[in-house]
Amino acid sequence: MRLHDAADCCSSEATGMAGAVLNEIAELLEHFAKTGEETIVDLRGLPMTDADRAALEDALGQGEVTAVVDVAGPSEVWETSYAGVWWVRHRGADERITSEEIVVTRVPAILLSHSDDVRASASRLRETLASDDVTEPAQTIDQGLEETSHVG
Amino acid sequence: MDLLDFARGPALQVGLIVFAFGVAWRLAALLLLPRMQDRSKAREGAPTAAIASGREVLRRMWPQGAFAEATRFSVINGYIFHLGLAIIVFGGTPHILFLRDLFGISWPGLPTNIINGVSVITFASLLLALARRINDPVLRLISTANDYISWAMTFLPVATGLLAISHLGARYETLLAIHLLSVAAFLVWFPFGKLMHAFLVFVSRGTTGVHLAHRGAQL
Amino acid sequence: MSDDRTLGEVMTSRGVSRRAFLKYASYLATAMALPASATSVIAQSLATARRQSVIWLSFQECTGCTESITRSYSPTLEDLIFDFISLDYHHTLMSVSGAAAEHAREQAMKDNKGKYIVIVDGSVPIKDGGIYSTIAGVTNEQMLKDTVKDAFAVVSVGTCAAFGGIPHANPNPTGAVAVSDIIKDKPIINIPGCPPIPEAMTGTIAYLLSFGKLPELDKLNRPLAFFGESIHDRCYRRPFYERGMFADSFDDEGARKGWCLYKVGCKGPIAYNACATLKWNGGISFPIQSGHGCLGCSEPNFWDKGSFYKPLAAATAGINAEVGAAAVVGAAIGATAAQIIKKRRQDVADRAIKKVEG
Repeated sequence: MRLHDAADCCSSEATGMAGAVLNEIAELLEHFAKTGEETIVDLRGLPMTDADRAALEDALGQGEVTAVVDVAGPSEVWETSYAGVWWVRHRGADERITSEEIVVTRVPAILLSHSDDVRASASRLRETLASDDVTEPAQTIDQGLEETSHVG
Repeated sequence: MDLLDFARGPALQVGLIVFAFGVAWRLAALLLLPRMQDRSKAREGAPTAAIASGREVLRRMWPQGAFAEATRFSVINGYIFHLGLAIIVFGGTPHILFLRDLFGISWPGLPTNIINGVSVITFASLLLALARRINDPVLRLISTANDYISWAMTFLPVATGLLAISHLGARYETLLAIHLLSVAAFLVWFPFGKLMHAFLVFVSRGTTGVHLAHRGAQL
Repeated sequence: MSDDRTLGEVMTSRGVSRRAFLKYASYLATAMALPASATSVIAQSLATARRQSVIWLSFQECTGCTESITRSYSPTLEDLIFDFISLDYHHTLMSVSGAAAEHAREQAMKDNKGKYIVIVDGSVPIKDGGIYSTIAGVTNEQMLKDTVKDAFAVVSVGTCAAFGGIPHANPNPTGAVAVSDIIKDKPIINIPGCPPIPEAMTGTIAYLLSFGKLPELDKLNRPLAFFGESIHDRCYRRPFYERGMFADSFDDEGARKGWCLYKVGCKGPIAYNACATLKWNGGISFPIQSGHGCLGCSEPNFWDKGSFYKPLAAATAGINAEVGAAAVVGAAIGATAAQIIKKRRQDVADRAIKKVEG
């Protein structure tokens, strides 16, 4: 039994925000094509309902690239059917969406290897080779986090 | 204790105490006063006291005779803000909750947008009443501090209530506190100024009617 | 426990890439309504920051605030905050360590002089020399003053630390006061709530870490990002309020249909917090969504605002014995006045009759 009809009323109704965001994306995309300046639209910071976001997702569609980044929970990244418009959906380890954004860029930063990480992994690979133990698998993030001492 | 706590607590408490004390005092003093005996013989055909008083109350509901022209504005404008105040006080949901808490009875409220509309009309009507009082030379001459204070004590709750529902000028809790403080001030002033007419208006009109009828005034 | 390495270096050594910082920054930007463009700046600042030393003092409290922060909703992502800070002392969690814990606190204060953050939950009793709450024989008031002396900033979590809370409620037998009543010379951030929303606590700490300064605060020192709007303003039941559709009791048709709870005492219009947007327990619900009005727990003196179920529009006391007594006294004075006049008229009449007869 649904006790609270109203609890669902406001998250299931489309408010027309999807159209407004699409217009903004079109502008940002033209700007990016002209100047190369990247922009991010925070979808969870806007007064959008779930229905609005679903409508936006439908309208933008799926492009050629889809990636999953496994860092502190899965993050889904895909290029929409419009090149240069990327959808980034971050989830925590409990699968709950923690943030969601549209990034107008060539490749979202979350997919790039950070230069510090590159440097660190270069020295790690060198150390591994030096220690003759090439069979030891590299640590993944979740193992790394488990080793830290968490409160609670 | 913040301003809202003060307004909802001590301020309204003092307002209610002074109101209860003052109204009980004035009503008891007036109604228990022995009536002056009119020993003269009533004119022939004079109606009974009940009919005379009732007739006078009704007659004064609308501009009459020689004064019709001069009093038309005051009477009509008076109706507008009196009815407006009644609709706001007895139809607005927060006000019904206030009264329910005091008297334990409640009734359905009117939609917020209707109350808002009525409030704006009442606000304008009260301003017109003041403008009239200031601009009319006769009215200005016979106006005392009592009139202006009574006007202000009525106007302030309407004005601050409008601010509170429209969230204008300050945070809601501050606006609500100011509104409640203005109500407390209204309650304190009520028994001692002309606002007391709310209880006495029909008593005095009825009494006048009885006197006039006794002397054979044909109205 | 000083560590000269940057957070980026610490995390890299654990195999955690910079992507985690980016993801956390994106989450923080959303939670704190920062411009999305700030994400890369936050990620960069976090990576180059040093681990923040934090000393957590627990005074007159129920441990609900600690319960709340340790149950922040998105494990692994939210928990990153515990990698970003060095929780050098937590009174409640370290109580079994006894004297060793107290030494850790003193060591952290010495090592991070002027740089550490003090988090306080619970109010501070000052009546009778503060004897109503002591730790290791030291009164809360003394320990607060000593610990805060060399701190960078103080974060009061929970309504007790921020405003005195429940120990401060009438009649306040222990003379409980807020941290800000004692500490006057340090920046103080209040994160009230009973308990506070975990994201409000972790978000504020992460902000301090990323930007090295206090977030924008309201006049009660609460971060505007979380306490800038009232529950009422962001309530999904607000349309029912506007339409005049209210629940009159907790089991009537209005309550079942999820209408506005204003009539049953909801304090949403005067309560500033993020419950209506961030919600609780991983975004599952918040009190109003569960059918109960807001208690306004993030506001000062929420416990002493009359019944939780009394509508905001009603006077706190109502018609009580004092009002009744005032009416009785007023009527008695009025009746006496009428009586005196009656007597006076009688005297006048008597004198007149006497004159005529005489």
